[in-house]
Amino acid sequence: MRIFIIQRISAIALVVFLSLHMIVVHYPPGHLDFSRVLERLADPLWKAIDIAFLAAVLFHALAGTYAVLTDIERVTPLKRILAGILVVLGIIGVAYGTFTILSFQPPASLSAVH
Amino acid sequence: MYKSTGFISFFLRRFTGLVLVLYLGVHMWVIGAATKGAETFNARLEVFESPVLKILEILLLAAVLYHGFDGIRLIIVHYFDVTDYRKSLFYAAFATSALLTIVGGIPLLLYALEMLS
Repeated sequence: MRIFIIQRISAIALVVFLSLHMIVVHYPPGHLDFSRVLERLADPLWKAIDIAFLAAVLFHALAGTYAVLTDIERVTPLKRILAGILVVLGIIGVAYGTFTILSFQPPASLSAVH
Repeated sequence: MYKSTGFISFFLRRFTGLVLVLYLGVHMWVIGAATKGAETFNARLEVFESPVLKILEILLLAAVLYHGFDGIRLIIVHYFDVTDYRKSLFYAAFATSALLTIVGGIPLLLYALEMLS
């Protein structure tokens, strides 16, 4: 599939994911802290949604960066190297972000009760 | 060329896009503190509790809303036969993102002012 098509699909996905993210995470009144995120992420469905959101945003961001940078004449001959760097960054980003999402776990003392 | 809506749209889309990529890096680093436990996470979020950063968040909101609505406009122009309305759609995307920036920015501005007083 051509990269720009996936870029558009991820764009549409991001409209949905980001609207949801702002409404659910950033706009409810009160103070945002670990326990509030933990409460939401206790539901595995939210974890799955956040991991899908992460993958979509990283793809869109890195593919966008590739498009902008390869339009610069000096960068064009290096586009394969650039693509390689961006793919590696994407893999690291998905791994790190997923690890972050999964680290929202109740303290061991609490989970031992269940 | 430099005054056409096409060029302005092209330039703003790429500029806001790059700003958002850089912000994504910062955002992932901040949330990444969760891997080091609740205290580290809360401490790192506290860094953003400053009036200057709340104002920057309003600019961030403007960037993301503009990028999003201009992107929707681009998809509409590409997949539906509305090339004649391209310019009007650009103004519509611009106006909608400006309006939503004001609506979404008010709580941030009030919060910033509250911190100053």
